[in-house]
Amino acid sequence: MNDSGQLYTIEGVAAAIMMVITAYMVISSASIFTPQEKHVAQMQLEQLGHDALVVMDTPGENGVQSNLSKFIASDEEEDFNQTYYKLVNQRTDGTFDTLKYNVTIYYQTDTGDIEPIDFFKKWDYHRENAVKVTQWSYITDIQVGESTEVLNDKVVLVEVLLWRD
Amino acid sequence: MAGLNDTGQWIVIMGFIVSIAIFLLALVVAESAIVGKTTSESVLEFPKTDIQDLRSELMDLKWEKFESSKIKRYRDDIVNLSLDRKNTVVWYENQTVDKLVLYIHYNNGITQYNEVYSEGD
Repeated sequence: MNDSGQLYTIEGVAAAIMMVITAYMVISSASIFTPQEKHVAQMQLEQLGHDALVVMDTPGENGVQSNLSKFIASDEEEDFNQTYYKLVNQRTDGTFDTLKYNVTIYYQTDTGDIEPIDFFKKWDYHRENAVKVTQWSYITDIQVGESTEVLNDKVVLVEVLLWRD
Repeated sequence: MAGLNDTGQWIVIMGFIVSIAIFLLALVVAESAIVGKTTSESVLEFPKTDIQDLRSELMDLKWEKFESSKIKRYRDDIVNLSLDRKNTVVWYENQTVDKLVLYIHYNNGITQYNEVYSEGD
């Protein structure tokens, strides 16, 4: 048996092992790449959701009530849904995106407790990647949702939980 | 290493240099993955919209010259809701003497914002 060139054989085996290890490291590090992207998507979602709330909270002209406080004041959750849905979901080609949301209103009772009211809850939330956007709203002399309490001259917090389905 | 052919040393050195260069480039690529994460995280962490919303709510009261009874009634709701829902300490006070002055304080533990808004002479 010819046993010259042993060193070349060892070198060949070592090179093969190094290449396999390198390939493994490259493939496994590429899989870490994906979850870091979600922060970017979350940031965009948060800005989109908040922008839509600001648009709704801006009155059409001076001295007029904004859409947001109007919908809350008269408990028109379907009108709210239609406006907000269009603002966050409309694409340029006329089709609709798949963003979903729940809206909860938080208010302070006379005893100082913070109580939630489910203002709009059509879709179930199954622990998708969601963001929370908020907006203050001033309301007077109204009864919100199924609550029996009448809120008078109060600032309430409108919380929207927004996620991509 | 007797008997080993030692010609082609330059080719071996160039091979080393190229492999080191590829390794350094791989480091740069690995860093670039984190860039999007850290920037978007800092955007998410900074309460830009919270501060803007609070200011815009308070500036609505400017037309009534920050009338004390009204801003106190607002403040009770805003302070407690901020603490309960956003873990944020908020305070504001009308300090008008001869010109319109409103002191605004916001602190969510990470970001602190203080403002003295004044208007008029």
